[in-house]
Amino acid sequence: MYTVSDTMNTQFKKGVLELCVLVLLDRKDCYGYEMVEEISRNIFISEGTIYPLLKRLKTEGLVISYLKESQDGPPRKYYQITELGKEKKEKLVAEWNEFAMGVSNLLYNRNVDMEGNCDE
Amino acid sequence: MNKDDYLKELTRLLRKLPKEERDDVVSDYHEHFIIGIEKGRSEEEIAKALGNPKTVAKQINAEYMVRKAEDKQSAGSMFEAILAAAGLGIFNLIFVAVPTLIVVALILTAFAVGGAMIMGGILITISYMFQPLIPLINLNLPLGGILGIFGGIFIGVSLTILGVGLVAATAYITKWLYGLAIRYLKYNIRLIEGRKGSKKSQGVS
Repeated sequence: MYTVSDTMNTQFKKGVLELCVLVLLDRKDCYGYEMVEEISRNIFISEGTIYPLLKRLKTEGLVISYLKESQDGPPRKYYQITELGKEKKEKLVAEWNEFAMGVSNLLYNRNVDMEGNCDE
Repeated sequence: MNKDDYLKELTRLLRKLPKEERDDVVSDYHEHFIIGIEKGRSEEEIAKALGNPKTVAKQINAEYMVRKAEDKQSAGSMFEAILAAAGLGIFNLIFVAVPTLIVVALILTAFAVGGAMIMGGILITISYMFQPLIPLINLNLPLGGILGIFGGIFIGVSLTILGVGLVAATAYITKWLYGLAIRYLKYNIRLIEGRKGSKKSQGVS
């Protein structure tokens, strides 16, 4: 059994994970393990989470996958962002910025809007 | 749990998926193990970091079921999708099971009321139509006289028409709700996407 805060925390991260994956793929094509490593470096995730997510993004047409040979070992499955995925990424980034700004305004008792105008 | 155990367990848990899709998912995890081993991690360590195969499989199954319900548009596949989504965790159970029960109860009630109105309307109409023809059987109808008969028939027919209308409207709403339910399930799955592993296994990263 898990506590509410535990669950909330996890849910919170799940929402952000989609954003992280799309941002990474917008920079370059990646294979699953690479993304897990990159994301784990910054936030804690359970490694198995990323594959169901990638599968969903693929079904929704936000990413595609292809196999590419690697120097050390068998071919790897690379993921590539689509135009639709890029649109979605822009939307999620905007939502995230708005959210993060709202929270930090609240935390530090400021009043900054999205254009960076401050009325204090 | 080592690599082979993990992948075997995952394959077993994903048996409801079409073979091609299942192989695709399992190959992702297989690749994850291979690269992890190349980087010098032990199989057990990787398995632990990936999270319980049950949790992984539940998530993938739920997404598949919802997709199937969307394509197939049948009560059976919707039922499977709801079950799979509700089984994801305590949050999903509450947010899926409770609305489902309420909505299903409302739909069934509306159909039952509609059906009763149709049946009742037909009975009333028949009673009023045949009462003057068979005076021997006294049905004790509340409305008497020639006007009463027409009044009774009118009430009976109206009730039937209203009942048919209610059933038709409910059927229409049910269809609309189906689409809504798909969207809700997708949202619900996404929100709680793969709560992997327990606090204990989170120590290893």
